[in-house]
Amino acid sequence: MVLGVFSFNASRIANWNGFTLDWYLQVFGDSLLWEGTLNSLIIATATTAIATALGTLAAYSLWKTKAPVLTTSLYLSLVTPEVLTGVSLLLLFQLLFRLIHLRLGMHTVILAHVSFSLVYVVLVVLSRLRQFDRDLEDAALDLGGTPWQTFWHVTLPLLVPGILAAALLCFTVSFDDYVITSLVAGIDSQTLPMLIYAMARKGVSPEVNALSVLITVVLGALILAADRIEQRSSAKLKA
Amino acid sequence: MNRRIFLFGLSTALSSCTSGRKPRLNVYNWDNYVARDTIGEFERRHGCRVRYGVYASAEEMLAKVLTGNSGWDVVFPSNSFVQPMRDLDLLLPLDRGKLRNAGNLERRFRSPEWDPGLNWCIPYMHSATGIIYSNSVARVPQSWADLWTESYSRRLTMLDDPAEVFAACLKRFGCSINSADDRELRKARDLAIEQKPLLRAYLNEEVRDQVVAGDVLVAQMWAQVAQVAISSNPHLSFVFPSEGFALYADNISILRESKHRELAYEFVDYLLEARTAAAIASEVHAATANGAARELLPQSERNNAILYPSAETLRRGEWFRALSVTAQRLRDRYWTEIKSA
Amino acid sequence: MISLSRWFRAPAELVMLLLFYLPLAMVFGYSFLTRGAYGGASRPVTVEAYGRVFDLLYLRIVFRSISIATASTAICLVAAFPLAFYIARFARAKTLLINLVTLPFWTSFLIRTYAWMFLLRDTGLINVVLQRIGLISKPLPLLFNDGAVILGLVYGYLPFMVLPIYATLEKLDPALLDAAEDLGATPWVAAWKVAVPLAKPGIIAGSILVFIPCLGAYLTPDLMGGGKTVMLGNLVQNQFTAARDWPFGAAISLVFMGAVFVVMRLLRNYAEDSL
Repeated sequence: MVLGVFSFNASRIANWNGFTLDWYLQVFGDSLLWEGTLNSLIIATATTAIATALGTLAAYSLWKTKAPVLTTSLYLSLVTPEVLTGVSLLLLFQLLFRLIHLRLGMHTVILAHVSFSLVYVVLVVLSRLRQFDRDLEDAALDLGGTPWQTFWHVTLPLLVPGILAAALLCFTVSFDDYVITSLVAGIDSQTLPMLIYAMARKGVSPEVNALSVLITVVLGALILAADRIEQRSSAKLKA
Repeated sequence: MNRRIFLFGLSTALSSCTSGRKPRLNVYNWDNYVARDTIGEFERRHGCRVRYGVYASAEEMLAKVLTGNSGWDVVFPSNSFVQPMRDLDLLLPLDRGKLRNAGNLERRFRSPEWDPGLNWCIPYMHSATGIIYSNSVARVPQSWADLWTESYSRRLTMLDDPAEVFAACLKRFGCSINSADDRELRKARDLAIEQKPLLRAYLNEEVRDQVVAGDVLVAQMWAQVAQVAISSNPHLSFVFPSEGFALYADNISILRESKHRELAYEFVDYLLEARTAAAIASEVHAATANGAARELLPQSERNNAILYPSAETLRRGEWFRALSVTAQRLRDRYWTEIKSA
Repeated sequence: MISLSRWFRAPAELVMLLLFYLPLAMVFGYSFLTRGAYGGASRPVTVEAYGRVFDLLYLRIVFRSISIATASTAICLVAAFPLAFYIARFARAKTLLINLVTLPFWTSFLIRTYAWMFLLRDTGLINVVLQRIGLISKPLPLLFNDGAVILGLVYGYLPFMVLPIYATLEKLDPALLDAAEDLGATPWVAAWKVAVPLAKPGIIAGSILVFIPCLGAYLTPDLMGGGKTVMLGNLVQNQFTAARDWPFGAAISLVFMGAVFVVMRLLRNYAEDSL
């Protein structure tokens, strides 16, 4: 219990470098930071959209039937050190770009992120599915629905909380990634973690602290809001 | 699948949108190496936009530009990287006629040992590695050997850079910092392992805060970073070790792949202007290779002994050089041994 | 039924094929080449890189990484279980609390690590406070050693351990625990004897999710350990950047991955499916 609170507060304690708002203003004024944040947001959103969609479908498929090849590849991707993922994708892209005229950029980062976040989505959705009652599906089929209809109208809506959780996890993992991103990023895709790393390397900067407090506050608000919405929707369900 | 194609198209469209109508120059530099308005003024003068990326290590930059298709136009290699980049055919041979301000360079940089004809790069800023220390220490360090004593136990750091650590060790035997000799390297390795228990950590620039705060009393440090530290805490001092020390310089080069060569030349020429270089040197506390710029600096900065060591001090200095593959292999292996000891 | 599942899998399989197996195959190919003059790789083709992997120096690093990762995982488990248990059993605003626990996870990993470094420094908050209240006279060396690395790893991967355990505990029927207590067991014993065995799949999943990244971690050992500790992650990272010896880095990574994969398969056969 204490640990929970502590872990929540730890990073905020370290940020009390004085109570001026100057640094916050500097954060807002720093266009480089904005660009980085925007890039991170775009990449994370795109990745989440793609990975959640593909991952949910894959998880459903894995729940229904066995697919050793896919399971193995997902396992392996979990086990791979980030550096290796990044470097291997870099090699692939560089080879590819000798043939087609493209360069490293946002698209390569998105592709890379999808590659490693797929497994997280599958993990979350699959575990949710495991708790799912198969009878519901069977009932729907008995009533004359096609497999697709069953999926779309029965399973999927009930799966939504799990999908959201997976999407959240995917978004976080993608937004926060440094290692892989720094390897496959192009000249137009400086992300927030990359910028933070560059800033923090020069020592603890109040600007970084201000930024982290901001992120914590924003995310905290989002979580509270999400929770409020969920409570309201579950109340509606019960009614 | 459709979603993927859509998003792919969207992101490509977006990225081409942001490039706008004005020509865009892509500059890839070390962090904190230009003044606040350097880029802005260039953009205004030439009606262009500059995409300015930063890197933290030369290896990082090299890895990115290695393919010859990175998108960058201007980069800033350290002197020991110029030769390798030439061999890899990454650099554009410079048309000296286009650089009107090249005459501004200080004499000793007009024909540096890594590029005597200045055909491939233009020296930008230079620095050296020495020892920064707090004035409160009981025993003032004067040489590398002093870093092997008990006096600073656990409040001493070395740079997290194999080239630098080996350089310090090799200098203690009077060897060259670019040594490729296995015996010498092994002795250096043993020395470093000997020193390890006395070390707090291997840290690069991030130790600056700790030195300023007093956590760390003595550190192997680059002159430029030391100067920044001293500016925030006057109770610190810097010394060039008596046995000898490493010199290095960062240079400006244009990549062969560049699609904006004319603009790149303008940029290099702009950086060579006395006023620009002086502003940069002043703001980031770096030592500029630009003699004319140095003239414009205030007295205190112009003769700063840390940034611009005297000729006598410089005699003890040695430039970093590119190393052969076998030498690299040896050093890398010994570095791993040091780190995991 | 089956054909629908096939369709659903297909995009994911395609992605894995192109963006995982293909790159991996390239790395595999690279591991048989020789280091190029300035990075990258070139002929001659050789297995030399693999031979070098089994050197005593690197085996020592592997051993060290395993011990640090094991310690981190164990501590993480001990810390996470009570937390997950508490939230699952007693807390009322469950989802909210779980989200709060994972919240720090969402601020940047780098920022959190630097925050810890800031706290643990000699002039950091912890040492300053301890000195002020007179508990210690000289600052404690809290940073730049193996302990700090473990702390950093535990803190960084705690959510990975909490979430799976919480997921299993949440499904736990409270009646089971109540029954145990009715039979005379104290709440502690009830928890220990009933909850823990039933949470086994969650524990195993969590341990895997923590242990493996810990083995391959490199930012944490580098920052919190002051660059004095070389773990597997640092070694691989170094090969691909500073040392520019890609074939060797490739060889190490592949051997490492192979070994972990084998171990995981064994574990999976032993435990009930957690994946």
